Amino acid sequence: MKLNTMAGVMSFVSKIENDSASFYRNYAEKYPELESIFLSWNKENSKFEKNIKRTYYGVITDTLESNYAFQGLDTDDCNFETQLPEDADSSEAGKKAREIEETIKNFYLKAAQLSDGLMADIPRLFRKIAKKREERCQALESL
Amino acid sequence: MTVKRLQNFINGEWIDASTDKFVEIINPARGTVLSEVPMSTKADADAAVKAAQDAYPDWRNTPPVARARYLHRLIELMEDNFNELSIVQTTEHGKTIDESRGETRRGIEMIEVASGIPSLMQGYNLEDIAHGIDEYAINQPLGVFCCIAPFNFPFMVPLWFLPFAIACGNTFVVKSSPRTPMSQVDLFKLLEEIDLPPGVVNLVNGANEAAEALMDNPDMKGVTFVGSTPVGRQIYRKCGETGKRVIVQAGAKNYVVIMPDAVLEESTMVSLSASFFGNAGQRCLAGGNLLVVGDDEAYKRFMDRFVEGASKIRVGDGLDESVQMGPVQNAESKQRVVGVIEKGIAEGAKLTLDGRELNLVGDVPEACFLNPSIFENVTPDMSLAREEIFGPVASVVRAKDLDEAIDIIHDNPYGNASSIFTNNGKWARQFQHDVNAGNIGINVGIVAPMSFFPFGGRKDSFFGTLHGQGRDVIRFFTDPKIVITRWF
Repeated sequence: MKLNTMAGVMSFVSKIENDSASFYRNYAEKYPELESIFLSWNKENSKFEKNIKRTYYGVITDTLESNYAFQGLDTDDCNFETQLPEDADSSEAGKKAREIEETIKNFYLKAAQLSDGLMADIPRLFRKIAKKREERCQALESL
Repeated sequence: MTVKRLQNFINGEWIDASTDKFVEIINPARGTVLSEVPMSTKADADAAVKAAQDAYPDWRNTPPVARARYLHRLIELMEDNFNELSIVQTTEHGKTIDESRGETRRGIEMIEVASGIPSLMQGYNLEDIAHGIDEYAINQPLGVFCCIAPFNFPFMVPLWFLPFAIACGNTFVVKSSPRTPMSQVDLFKLLEEIDLPPGVVNLVNGANEAAEALMDNPDMKGVTFVGSTPVGRQIYRKCGETGKRVIVQAGAKNYVVIMPDAVLEESTMVSLSASFFGNAGQRCLAGGNLLVVGDDEAYKRFMDRFVEGASKIRVGDGLDESVQMGPVQNAESKQRVVGVIEKGIAEGAKLTLDGRELNLVGDVPEACFLNPSIFENVTPDMSLAREEIFGPVASVVRAKDLDEAIDIIHDNPYGNASSIFTNNGKWARQFQHDVNAGNIGINVGIVAPMSFFPFGGRKDSFFGTLHGQGRDVIRFFTDPKIVITRWF
């Protein structure tokens, strides 16, 4: 689905943050070696969502080009599975987490690029969260 | 199912209007009846003014810092109810949910600025204007003011005035738009919650009879109005006759100039789409005429992109988050805009993009919808170029250079806003200096002043002296009293 408006992006951001948070919450207990990192990311996701919403509600005004600022953004580019096979081991869980983080990072980077100069503080925040996602990928890599 | 009837808020209470005339408020995107608004009478308006007048002596004696605290509480409540306030605007007006949220934010920003009243309202003084004699200017409130609100920004526009007025120690009456009254009712529910003394703020729902009564009332000290130029001119005349202060922010036909060196990046094209088609073109700061300067090649390069962008705009119910443009506010508005399009064709302009051919998102009734329209070959003397359309229609005019472009802008009766898109500082500076409009945009499509700046307007777009918002509106709502002292 194409995302054209800031409102649409906000709803989608909530979805991807919640979906990925539930992945971390659901599998933290199953993989003790990943538990602390997954639980902290579960918590951090809700912080990301809150920050984005706060920034959006703080900067949205009737003169921002919010209805036209995301031309080319597509939810199909940010699809990820949050289920693991029953017999998946911790390395597969880590790999899945990396896929999720990579996908979300790319979504934020594209959204930031498209809305540059149009949506006040939003692109900067998107890039900041993308950077955090990159740090997560690196952390998973080093496990 | 019983449709909810709106009430007036007078002297701290919700009361029925003394009328048997009601008008249905219809969601333009869905055709559903949302409520019924009473056509309040002169007696209702007079009751509101009396309540405001009775509340005034105590309210003006309330310290400014205490008055500001009420506004702090209002901000908190508005933040808590941000989304609900925005949804009402979309359902009663048709604008997209992002546009409504933007309107809510703008409203809150007004209150934030007004809550700085202990600083904003300060007067000034000078010791020793003569030997041993000092002089002070003390800014004092005046009494009861009102706002006659428009339909296009039904929530925000009264907030250009109300918070500043009451922060200054005046009392206030809002006459909501008879087409979009529900968001004011919701705002007043929050005003009720902050527990202002009864009569400090009052809401009267209705149309001409209530508005006339407010203006005729001898206790009314000043009137603020945002709306069309013909009505604004009448209000200005009436207030002049009765000696009331007045701010009239009226109609517009804003030119957006595209110079040959304009950076035609995606962000520029987005900015232009928002300017011409945002709020379905129903805003006094909307681009109306696109003035393209340059040769045929530059013109074609620009127009191809502009038309393509406009043709892709998704039109539908503003609550659908994929929708970029909602309907116009009612079926009569649509018919009026269709009439303008037909007249434009008859005058010889070329209809490059015909918004009458509907392409809508979802299953919505067509009654109030139009897609974006673009006219080319428009000349400055055509009605398309001269008259305010208040709908999603762009009229493209051409000029050979900036001097001719500025002459064309000045030939237009309105002077609300004008923008230029260029990378050339000299052209931008000339435009800013020479163009006779109240708000100038340089690479900005919608020149909406922030709450801490006055909202300008010239020629047939503004009647009055002081403007809404910013320091101007503090001066409007106060009068400097001069005190000269000498002690023996």
